[in-house]
Amino acid sequence: MLFDARARARFAKNRSAVAGAAIVGALLAFSVVGPWVARHDPFESDFAHGVGPNGMPVGPGGGFPLGADRIFRDVFARLAVGGRLSLLIAVSATLLASAIGAAVGIVAGYTEGRRVARVVSVDGVLMRFVDVMLAFPFLLLVMAIGAALEHTSAITIFTTLGVTGWLGIARVLRAKTMQVRALDYVLASRALGQSAGRILLRHVLPNVAGPLVVSATVLVAQMIVADSVLSYLGVGIAPPTPTWGRMLFEGQDYLAAAPWLVAAPAVTILLAVWGFNMLGEGLRDALDPGDA
Amino acid sequence: MRWIPATRDTLPLVLAAAGVALFAAPLGCQTGLAAPIAAEHDEDAAPVRGGTLRLASFGDVRGLDPAGPIDGLSMGPVHLMFAGLVDYDPQGHVVPDLADHWDVADDGRTYRFVLRHGVTMHDGSELTADDVKRSVERALQPTTPDLFASYFAGIAGYAAFTGGKAEHLAGVVVEGRDVVSFHLDKPNATFLFLVALHSTRPTCKSAGSKYDDTWLPCGAGPFRLPPGGWQRGTSLRLVRHDAYFQPGLPYLDAVEWTYNMQALAQRLRFEHGDLDVVRELTHAETARFMADARWRPFGVVQADVNMYGESMNTRMPPFDNVEIRRAVAAAIDRGQFARIQPMTMTPLTQALPSSLPDYDPSFEGQRYDLEAALEHMRKAGYPFDPATGKGGWPEPVEYTMYDQGLVSYSAQLLQQDLARIGLRLRLKLVSYPAFLALQERAGASQMSQGNWMLDYPDPSSVFDELFGSGAIKPEGSVNTAFYRNARLDEIIEGAHGEMDAGKRRALYREANAIVCDEAPWAFTYGVHFFQLQQPYVRGLVAHPVWPIDVSRAWVDRAGTAAAGALGGGRR
Repeated sequence: MLFDARARARFAKNRSAVAGAAIVGALLAFSVVGPWVARHDPFESDFAHGVGPNGMPVGPGGGFPLGADRIFRDVFARLAVGGRLSLLIAVSATLLASAIGAAVGIVAGYTEGRRVARVVSVDGVLMRFVDVMLAFPFLLLVMAIGAALEHTSAITIFTTLGVTGWLGIARVLRAKTMQVRALDYVLASRALGQSAGRILLRHVLPNVAGPLVVSATVLVAQMIVADSVLSYLGVGIAPPTPTWGRMLFEGQDYLAAAPWLVAAPAVTILLAVWGFNMLGEGLRDALDPGDA
Repeated sequence: MRWIPATRDTLPLVLAAAGVALFAAPLGCQTGLAAPIAAEHDEDAAPVRGGTLRLASFGDVRGLDPAGPIDGLSMGPVHLMFAGLVDYDPQGHVVPDLADHWDVADDGRTYRFVLRHGVTMHDGSELTADDVKRSVERALQPTTPDLFASYFAGIAGYAAFTGGKAEHLAGVVVEGRDVVSFHLDKPNATFLFLVALHSTRPTCKSAGSKYDDTWLPCGAGPFRLPPGGWQRGTSLRLVRHDAYFQPGLPYLDAVEWTYNMQALAQRLRFEHGDLDVVRELTHAETARFMADARWRPFGVVQADVNMYGESMNTRMPPFDNVEIRRAVAAAIDRGQFARIQPMTMTPLTQALPSSLPDYDPSFEGQRYDLEAALEHMRKAGYPFDPATGKGGWPEPVEYTMYDQGLVSYSAQLLQQDLARIGLRLRLKLVSYPAFLALQERAGASQMSQGNWMLDYPDPSSVFDELFGSGAIKPEGSVNTAFYRNARLDEIIEGAHGEMDAGKRRALYREANAIVCDEAPWAFTYGVHFFQLQQPYVRGLVAHPVWPIDVSRAWVDRAGTAAAGALGGGRR
């Protein structure tokens, strides 16, 4: 079992891991429940109560717990709705990246050292491709694809992030697969004549699941940042749909006069990234203490 | 493999520090503004010659050749370098400049200009009528990238000249060393405005007869470009033209622009006294300065020269239905739009911005009336019930936009307003070049934000380009609504040749009423420039036409004035 009693005990003793889980849980809860408890519609301007002196939005307090934005909408409600989308995109992109990365990494690791028809090494081709892709700065690549898309939606963004974010996972799983394939039970399976596909699915995949989960958890944090960067640079989802990065983008010109416009999404992104990183680190320590 | 350093023992501290830092950093910027830097002399002091006026922009000038492709940023320096036959006074009236006077003959078909004597150009030569003709021909050559060339199509012989069939423009006639006349195919009441545009302003002989973008700009304006004065993408420095024809002007030794400077950096340098004027403050910064009694007297507001509206493609559903367009025009709460930036926005309810002399504030135009908007939707055959949310136009309407603060905010407010009458906008975010291409292409965009900056202060600058059928093209159509109205075309044509100001005004009143009623645009707001200047900047007032005019500005800051003060420094 991946997360057995001993792993759970190790996880529970790790304050950082527990804090990470708590932060992630709190953000999820905020995103799910927030829009329902907010007093305002996240998409409707409130000119009666949201306008402060000189046409500036009102600050935190009163009817607007986190202040109002530039067109006088509730920042709290928008942050919660934005959380749904930001987390959904990050998690979806991570799942896609994990699937691609796991497939490439496991196949590459399992076929390492073997050549097809004595000419082509599947591992070599896959890993050189990974090397080339890793040579591109991740965010630059994502921005280029994002900018090339004439019309962006949540699907295009998570697909973009997913198909560009799997490289690290492939590397990690290749290394782990090379370890696993040399173990006795894999050798025994091969000796018994089991097919490569069956060996990979039944024996290799379950034994590399720990690093996969750890890598994926940390990758969620990277995806949150990448999604925020896309939105911040104006190649994310079109308004009025809020995402944390877009809220940051919209607030930057008002850093001095309305700091809550930047502080609210910035702190939320910080907490989300931190939370997922600590959670991933804690999972790594719990699932594979030898590597810690 | 470690992704980040372990943080167990320090976690609470680090989290607390990060939170405090993130909230404290912006709050730290909330500290008070620096005090204005006082002028050296009293308010009634006479102008003092000397000093450099320093400005900045987040953009870069596109070019400095008056006949070349210039943009809003270029207009300031180009206006300082190139004087015209006529110009605008501080009230926006056309007045003689290089011309001593002019007369109009032949029922508006001939404009004859008599030049001032002894106008010295930046290269030391004297301005002659030949320079005027050569500069006009240079600007209108078919190979010259002059954005305004088509405005001059009414000059006799224009087609032959631009078609390569004639070496010279027959309609521009040199009648002597100091006299030049323009002969038009038909009367044109707007011709003086066209002469005031930059593109045909006299250039030095070094400009030659054909456009060449390696030419060092040289004209007869109050400032000249010294060698090396323009560092593309970085800065521009103009120095005083000592032989300028206006006695005693300009006062400044030089004007400097720094380009590609972000708004925040501009504000900080301005506060520190390293910039004398800022024109690109964010709304938030503007509000901060204007909330400070020390700074409030030094904010300068220009008249509305930029007009905005929602352009509806009249050839595409649902806006091929005039009732739907009327519904949109009535559903927009313009007062709320203008509250996004009350310092620089004013509600716009008609086709003419308030800066135009013919603006009639009593004309109702388009006004917010939700009940009327719902009635128009019913007449259009798409009734909408706000209580149940049922009805309205059955499909989303695509609204093409680019991602810029004000555009984005007003689009979202529009979306909220139109949802109340059953029109559901889907905002389509594209790059700015893509936005322009789609907006100006037939059948490519249902709705988008229209923006128009007057080329000259006359209603024809609005109606001809934005709503006349002559401005419709399959690509690059300035008439982005692709709106066609036979009566409006008649009015546009008639007003062009109408030399009687009263009759002309009446024609444009009718044009305004047609456009407001049929609503190819739902007008939303006008935007004016706001500039903030240090108290020691004198003589810099808002101009009704030019974005900035520093020809009479002077600097009254200790240590900047030259010894040769005019009038002894104090009055």
